[in-house]
Amino acid sequence: MNAFLAAVLTATAPVVLAALGGLLCSVSGVFNMALEGQLLWGAFTAVLFSHMTGSAWLGVAGAVLATTLYALLLSVPAVTFRADPVVVAVGTNLLALGLTAFLMRQVFGSGGTFSSPDLSGLPTLAELGLDLPVLGPQSPLVPAAFLLVAWAAWWLGRTRSGLRLRGIGQHAEAAESIGLRVPAYRHAAVLGAGALCGLGGAQLALGNVTLFSEGMSAGRGWVAVVAVMLAGARPWLGLAACLLFGAAEALGFRLQGLGLPQQAADAAPYLITLLALVVAAATRRKVRTV
Amino acid sequence: MTGVENPVGTPPTTSAPARGDGARRVGVVVRRLVLSPAVLSVAGALALTTIVMIAVGVDPSLAYPALVRGALMDGNLEYTLAAYVPTLGMAVAFAIPLRAGEFNLGGDGQLSLGGIVAAALALHAGGSYVVPLVGAALAGALVAGLSAPLRTRLGIPAIVSTLLLSAPAVSLASYLARFPLAEPGTGLAQTPLLPESARLPAFGSSSYVTIALPLVAALTALWLYADARTVPGYEIRALGANREFARYGGVRVDRMAAVTLAAGGAFAGLVGGLIVLGPPYRFVDGALTAPGYTFTAIAAVLLAAGRPPAIPAAVALLTILQAGGQGMEREAGVPSQLTQIVQGLIIVIVSVAAVVRSRWTGRQA
Amino acid sequence: MSVPPHDRPVAGAPAVELAGITKRFGDVLANDGIDLAVARGEVHAVVGENGAGKSTLMSVLYGLHRPDAGQVLRAGVPVRLRSPADAIAHGLGMVHQRLRLFPGLSVAENVVIGAEPVRRGMLDRAAADRAVAGLSERYGLDVDPSARVGELPVGVRQRVEILKALYRRAEVLILDEPTAVLTPGETEGLLRMVREFAAEGVSVLLVTHKLEEVLAASDRVTVLRGGRVTGRFDTAATSADELVQAMIGRSLGAPPHGPRPTGTPSGPAEAMAYVLEVRDLHLRDQDGVAAVAEVSFGVRAGEIVGLAGVAGSGQRELVEAVTGLRRAGSGEVLLEGRPVEGGRERRVAYVPADRAGRATAPIMSLADNLLMGEQRGIRLRPDRMRQRAAALVERFSIRASSVRAPIAQLSGGNAQKAVLARELSRDTPVLVVEEPTQGVDVGAQERIHALLAEARDAGRAVLLQSSELSELRALADRVLVMFEGRVVADLPVAEATDERLGAAMTGAARPEQGDAEATG
Repeated sequence: MNAFLAAVLTATAPVVLAALGGLLCSVSGVFNMALEGQLLWGAFTAVLFSHMTGSAWLGVAGAVLATTLYALLLSVPAVTFRADPVVVAVGTNLLALGLTAFLMRQVFGSGGTFSSPDLSGLPTLAELGLDLPVLGPQSPLVPAAFLLVAWAAWWLGRTRSGLRLRGIGQHAEAAESIGLRVPAYRHAAVLGAGALCGLGGAQLALGNVTLFSEGMSAGRGWVAVVAVMLAGARPWLGLAACLLFGAAEALGFRLQGLGLPQQAADAAPYLITLLALVVAAATRRKVRTV
Repeated sequence: MTGVENPVGTPPTTSAPARGDGARRVGVVVRRLVLSPAVLSVAGALALTTIVMIAVGVDPSLAYPALVRGALMDGNLEYTLAAYVPTLGMAVAFAIPLRAGEFNLGGDGQLSLGGIVAAALALHAGGSYVVPLVGAALAGALVAGLSAPLRTRLGIPAIVSTLLLSAPAVSLASYLARFPLAEPGTGLAQTPLLPESARLPAFGSSSYVTIALPLVAALTALWLYADARTVPGYEIRALGANREFARYGGVRVDRMAAVTLAAGGAFAGLVGGLIVLGPPYRFVDGALTAPGYTFTAIAAVLLAAGRPPAIPAAVALLTILQAGGQGMEREAGVPSQLTQIVQGLIIVIVSVAAVVRSRWTGRQA
Repeated sequence: MSVPPHDRPVAGAPAVELAGITKRFGDVLANDGIDLAVARGEVHAVVGENGAGKSTLMSVLYGLHRPDAGQVLRAGVPVRLRSPADAIAHGLGMVHQRLRLFPGLSVAENVVIGAEPVRRGMLDRAAADRAVAGLSERYGLDVDPSARVGELPVGVRQRVEILKALYRRAEVLILDEPTAVLTPGETEGLLRMVREFAAEGVSVLLVTHKLEEVLAASDRVTVLRGGRVTGRFDTAATSADELVQAMIGRSLGAPPHGPRPTGTPSGPAEAMAYVLEVRDLHLRDQDGVAAVAEVSFGVRAGEIVGLAGVAGSGQRELVEAVTGLRRAGSGEVLLEGRPVEGGRERRVAYVPADRAGRATAPIMSLADNLLMGEQRGIRLRPDRMRQRAAALVERFSIRASSVRAPIAQLSGGNAQKAVLARELSRDTPVLVVEEPTQGVDVGAQERIHALLAEARDAGRAVLLQSSELSELRALADRVLVMFEGRVVADLPVAEATDERLGAAMTGAARPEQGDAEATG
């Protein structure tokens, strides 16, 4: 059971980080569908910087920085120029796919998957001397992801900037008329989401495994988008949605070991996510019509 | 979602050019062309690509000629043309629902299911290619149509549901190709060779291009006509421009949204069938999704910036880039993923250019 | 610049002064050298037609637009207002016509946001509640700090806006068309409040087009027309006629229709039959809350029935049921004796209030917009479509550069004329019109009223919903008043005075309700 719980947390952590970023954007009034590409970019840059410096932590820092910069590709068009964020996101997701595959060949000299003994992954908590049940075999980024959710819930509800961000998302014109600089908050939210995706990507490539492979975000960013849609402005609900996804993925792996075809395991997280979306929408409707 | 109106779904109708002396009119036309979002984005994307090339140490003066040769010369034109057909089909599959304001990002799933259904029908139903193609279109329509009630009854955006349904559909097709329909004894993830009778006849004497080319071209022309010159086309455009306006005007908005999603899916399924019934005449797992038709097509439609008649040209441009990318990889050693980078950049730049331009012309008005 | 730069308040200088403000948008000169000064504790009305430049001028004063020339002075000191934040810092406060509140936040959060009390790094909610309660009590605003703004009626929301400005210690309060959303009773309360603010030393800029309010509440008046000042008056020494002259450059013409005959052109038997009849209609909104209950009425051919009520009293839902856009919960809507079916009812022409959201698709061309509702069959004939569009443009004198240009390029009045052209050209027995002259200049208003009178004289049954009581009085034969989803009054136009309508709109006409919604 502990092993299963650990697998759930491992699968969930990158999605939680991306979803938290998406949620901040959604609260500020920007629909962020670029999470998939940013997770992938984060994973790639984490491996790149870890390989270059030999330090997993520098890899994490590099990924956070590089993905924050990458998020400018969404924030400048969507916030400054008010382009359709959905269209921009389609572009940046495609770009991330091409850019990571391209740079992989240029830098590492081969496509497909890159792993190397020189590549250092993140240490586990156990290795750091914290041999807790379930959390022991995880990287420190896993508990960090869940603590960040708690922090976001507190920050949105209890601080000055959190209140302002909520206001901006509800009625941008009203926020402007009391002198809030709406674009600044939105840029901050989108770039913050980039940083969180960088962290998520780093966990994916240096925590869950220690390698980079093409397209390794594998739809997690889209699951995060769905989690944001389910959560509205409530971080805890977003976390629950992500855990559901993580459980589906972990269960899929388990069942694959028991002879379920790999394709079914691949499909399960998507179908379960969609199912959750349907159930949530249907109950919301029922409550309304009663 | 921010942005109520859909800037890419329906073109900002521009007024006819003012009458004046010939030179001025030419000037107006030239300026409008040069400042059009499409031209700006392609130019911008190429400039950025050149910078990327230089940054990674590739000589653009070698890479670009290699790109052109790889796409259009040395007998590659036929190959490019063969890639043009599915890309154009997938562009229409994305564009039909987009006119009604719905994003169909599930092209890969619809394509794969269409392909595997066509293969199954060709292998087990016998007869000509007609039944497999109809089956493929129905399969695509079905999987895309699932998104319609999710959108209209439960308010789940099509962009999310089509995408979430896509991966399972691809997985299902892959499973079928590996197990129940797999070629016995080889262990390869592919179906057996399809019977002669179900194969698509070649177009002329080509060994790659089949009658899929005239078929897709004709269907695209039909759609373009329907969009511009029929009442359903008008109603779909109105739906995309302002859903409430369409409802107010008596358009059955939910049914119309469902029809466009299903029609888009049918197009994608048909493309899957056309690929499988053409060379190499079997469903090979991954062969339909690996070339990235779906997203090349999306980039092309967005590049056409809401002007459907421009879609075939935009698809041609991006297909040449894509096909030329292979040649560039062979000759100049540039990874062909560079073309994906260009496509991504084009979409980002076109989204900005469209807004900046409409703001600019708006101020003029 | 004529004023030498200095930075200390000048004794006796106006609280706020606009000097030579000029603002240009493309080819349009929205403000042309406007001078305006408001003393401390003065209520200064700014009046003018739509498009006269009032909104632009106030936007300049509130830092939303930067003027091309001229400057703003506070207490004699030139100030640079580059954003609303600057304006707020200089003691200016603005209540916009479309309220700018956060529906999901509480009253207290709405009031303090942007200037929040903080304790140990966290929001001090208790202090915010206290501050709001204190201000609310001091000015008699009667607002609960913890209520969620989205759930409050419009009149209360407006008071939240005023609290926002007061909390920021505004010494100059700009009220942009504040009474547009209020009932007559609420309007009276607001104007009383404005006088109180002035007595406390606050300067008030009251932007309005309603002359009764100007005469009732202001000390001085500045009239704008075409971006220039066309008159300055002391309220005590002017009259409505004089103000109208300055506003439109002439006196208003005769009303759009003469006294109308008591019968209709057709025979008395037919005149009695209802073309549109609503019987015991009940409707629920999407949250399942009753929106319309027990509504019954009829409209005869050649008759205009007015529909009044505070926004959100069920008028919108009622109109949607009549036009087929909303399914009846129970009861029925009959058109010439046959029930309205689901989906848009083709026997009803309908001019919606929401021009950009429902009546038009702004990014589609004028020709495309003029077609909606008339599309039939399979083939679209673009040439015929454009011919028909051109004919309508001609007949209804719509000013447009081309029928192929997006309708978004048209002015509000011309877009509204296009919607009317489309709906009036349809051959239907019933015409339903919501807010026909909202956001339309005075010239176009007269024309629109004449068109509605024409439709009535042609024998149509017209249901006219409007929040302008003067409009209802000018056009309607009878006025129905809705309150909380019910029709609480059905008055012949001769009896529809402001007092009676106002009482009915606030529910005071219902015997069991008493004087509940009392304001002020």
